[in-house]
Amino acid sequence: MSDLGELDRLASTDDLDTARKPSPARRVGVDPVKALMRRHHDLCERAVDPLEIAAGLEAHGLTDRAAARFRHRDVFSLAEEMYARVPRSGDQLPPSYDLLDVAQERGPWALLALLPGALCAATLVGQRLTEGRVRVTVVALGVLAVALGLRAALRRGPLRAPSGTGPNTGRAATWWLLAYALLGDGLLRTALEGGPDGAWPPAPVPVLALALAFAPATWCARLLAVRARRRLAASRGLEEFASSITPLLLGVVALFLCALGALLVLCGLVLGAYGGTGAYAGAGALGALLLIARLLTSHGFGQAPAVALATAAAAECTALSSVFAGRLPGCSFLATPVHVLADTWGADAVPLVVCALTALILLIHATRTLTRASAHAQPSGSP
Amino acid sequence: MRIGLLTEGGYPYVGGEARLWCERLVHGLAQHEFDVYALSRGEREEVEGWVPLPPQVSRVRTAPLWAAEDDGVVHGRRARRRFAEAYGDLVGALCSASEPVASPSASEVVDSAAVDSVALDSAVVEPEADRFGSALYALAELARDEGGLSGALRSETAVRALESACHAPGALRAARTARVPDLLEVAAQVERALRPLSLDWYADDGLGAVDLCHATTGGAAALTGLLARHFAGVPLLVTEYGVRLRAHYLGAPGEAPSAVRAVLAAFHRRLAAEVYRRATCITPGNAHARRWQERCGADRAKLRTVYPGMDASRFTAVGESPDGADPATLVWVGRVEPAKDLVSLLHAFARIRAAEPTARLRIVGAVPDPEGAAYLGHCKALAEHLFPDEAEGAYAVGDNPVSFEDIGGPQAPDLAEVYGAGAVVVLSSVIEGFPISLVEAMLCGRATVSTDVGAVVEVIGGTGLAVPPRNPRALAEACVALLRDPARRERLGAAARARALELFTIEQNIAAFHELYLEIVSHEPVRRVLVDGAGEPRPFGAPTEAHLPGRWTGRRRPLRRPRWALPPEHDTARQDLPGYDMPEQDLPGHGTPEPDTAAHHAPVPAAEGVR
Repeated sequence: MSDLGELDRLASTDDLDTARKPSPARRVGVDPVKALMRRHHDLCERAVDPLEIAAGLEAHGLTDRAAARFRHRDVFSLAEEMYARVPRSGDQLPPSYDLLDVAQERGPWALLALLPGALCAATLVGQRLTEGRVRVTVVALGVLAVALGLRAALRRGPLRAPSGTGPNTGRAATWWLLAYALLGDGLLRTALEGGPDGAWPPAPVPVLALALAFAPATWCARLLAVRARRRLAASRGLEEFASSITPLLLGVVALFLCALGALLVLCGLVLGAYGGTGAYAGAGALGALLLIARLLTSHGFGQAPAVALATAAAAECTALSSVFAGRLPGCSFLATPVHVLADTWGADAVPLVVCALTALILLIHATRTLTRASAHAQPSGSP
Repeated sequence: MRIGLLTEGGYPYVGGEARLWCERLVHGLAQHEFDVYALSRGEREEVEGWVPLPPQVSRVRTAPLWAAEDDGVVHGRRARRRFAEAYGDLVGALCSASEPVASPSASEVVDSAAVDSVALDSAVVEPEADRFGSALYALAELARDEGGLSGALRSETAVRALESACHAPGALRAARTARVPDLLEVAAQVERALRPLSLDWYADDGLGAVDLCHATTGGAAALTGLLARHFAGVPLLVTEYGVRLRAHYLGAPGEAPSAVRAVLAAFHRRLAAEVYRRATCITPGNAHARRWQERCGADRAKLRTVYPGMDASRFTAVGESPDGADPATLVWVGRVEPAKDLVSLLHAFARIRAAEPTARLRIVGAVPDPEGAAYLGHCKALAEHLFPDEAEGAYAVGDNPVSFEDIGGPQAPDLAEVYGAGAVVVLSSVIEGFPISLVEAMLCGRATVSTDVGAVVEVIGGTGLAVPPRNPRALAEACVALLRDPARRERLGAAARARALELFTIEQNIAAFHELYLEIVSHEPVRRVLVDGAGEPRPFGAPTEAHLPGRWTGRRRPLRRPRWALPPEHDTARQDLPGYDMPEQDLPGHGTPEPDTAAHHAPVPAAEGVR
């Protein structure tokens, strides 16, 4: 039995021995490092320094003892030789970024953008169809619904404010500006004539047009984001990017103004009875102001728009109150500027001047901030 | 002594890495007070919560590294200019092409006990490393004076500084190809990496009050320690079981443009170099980590390898009982993943079977992820292909000589028994860090055959056979040699157990850190001036003996006195004063623990601590 086992053992060692002879295909050439580099071609190609090659080689199981076969003291010096020997053919451009992440980002925002306009229109229809106490209820509910709809629409999509920007101080000013667009012109007009005696007519056209224009505003912001990302991927320097993004920004604002103008005309035709070109221009300026403010906020510059909106609201408030303050004995000089303005261009000129000036200043600010590359970087917390 | 334990995604969190080690350290060194400063890496960690903390952990402060919180800090004009200057310097140092890693000085003879502050002046500091360090501290000072940096680090100023650094003469070749998206990406990543700068941990009531910072990893945790050293002069001890820089290279996403990778790699390299330069002592977990640290500029005089500790008590029964192994069984234990190269093991086993037809192979392992599951399926298929089922006789039901088992299954109820049932434990990995399964096998007194990767040879020493990786024939020959020689197997197993008990127990790990703490504090005591209410320095506020390291009167066992009987603690100097303790004739030398020779053969349970 034992000799059988011995035989077996001999046979097996024979087996192991015959396999030990190296096969000719595995012969190492004159330049073993070159063969190694060929084997780890990708690693060498993409390595940015010798340590990266060393880490990669070790991850493939190469040890210092193995490096000795390549006549090197350790993996590090082997990696250095490999790094030095990688052929580098000039500066090849890295592959362009894929824009899928932007293009794929679809969702309910495109439909939600229509919500404020639809709710506002429904409120107006309800207001036309009802009478008395019911009308008051309908209008109150409508205002609430529009506010909630706007809030929901601003939660997502390209006009969303980045998370963690703190409390939005511009919100109250925005609502004041919209309320002025609805009621302010009428109040100012009656106040200049000595009123108000009872209710004065509201102006639903600019509010409806602005609510409807929320959808084009969202799409414009989307256009800006997509185009800016594309230019970002294509440009080689910050200056180049800034100079290419300025016309884009101005174009987007102009596009929105065209859409808003068309909506204003449409709403004026449907609802009838709206003021002259001054009123249209005032609503347009307000729309531009709101768009630019929102664009700035959504790109992380929340402070300047908040200040600008608050300033505009304060200016309109001052204009209104100065008319009433001018009625006090000895204070008539307070109302003079508004009187002069209203006599020259009409009462609609007050919001026009205020909003246009603010929008212009904010636009200049935006051409300096939104043209920065850092404004269009993906925030790290965003999905 | 008050230790500031700095962790990143680690200790107090339940799922943290290296949690067990930190927990044992804190439990084992109950005579010190620990302040834990933890950086969390993800939301999941925070949701899972903390492990129960022992009373010696006096405070825990945490900060998220993952959340991009905008603190809304707007800097004034002067702060912006300071920032632009410092950040420009920082990225200038990152993008410059000069090589920061100098080969270590040729001090071949290293006295491992000489953990000295000589290291600080010994290294010749090259200008770029110095530039990086000073820019880093300038940013940290700015963050301390003016508040958070998170907004500024992502601002246009930062991106512009980065652009001009990338296009400056002498910049890295890869950095010169940077385009605008690359710059933005780099700025965002650098902001992420520099988040520890914005923390409010470095004040006198935070890290300024500890006697020693112990960073449990490199990277962000070590950066925190670096800043504590800069602001409060607290000595820094860095422990790296895996080198963070290497992990960065291996973990960096491959599809990122080379400009981004180059600048980020430079950042991590310079940060590592700065940490190694400033640290008082660095403890790599194995020789492999040590080589990387040396390569990145760590002075050899500061390096002291401290092996990770394993709980030896689980394996005592198997290790000390007579050999009950099946003489023809090979055992492989580990996590099933492609890096373990089970395919090569199966091929080797085919050769072993040719030589030893009765041999069996047990593969016992957990499957960590879907990739591992697929690999396991592949290996099972290969085993069935290579080895047909066989039976003892014509009427017996056969089975396969290769069995795949789970821990806790009927065949393998407990890890120690699995090791004990095998004659030889095999490891066939192509990639390996510190091979835990090998240490466990050694503690069980098993002879091992393993591939020569990672820290394997360092772990086994002369107590096992090592073969080249990806070489089934060599693996088979080594296994056959051991299977045929029971006496040699026994000799190797006994030696392996002795070696493991000497080097890889929890006790040695804790004793090493205990010793290091005392040494560092004795060489670099933090000298603080105590001030009274009026801001005047208080004379004799910190008595001379307060600078003596720890309880230099020595202690045979952990403190057993009730809390109310403890000596009163000083505000800043937390060391207990001498004279409260035992009489002086109990002094065991100079405060260093005696080598615990008795424990090597009768290991104490972990709960009892180091002494």
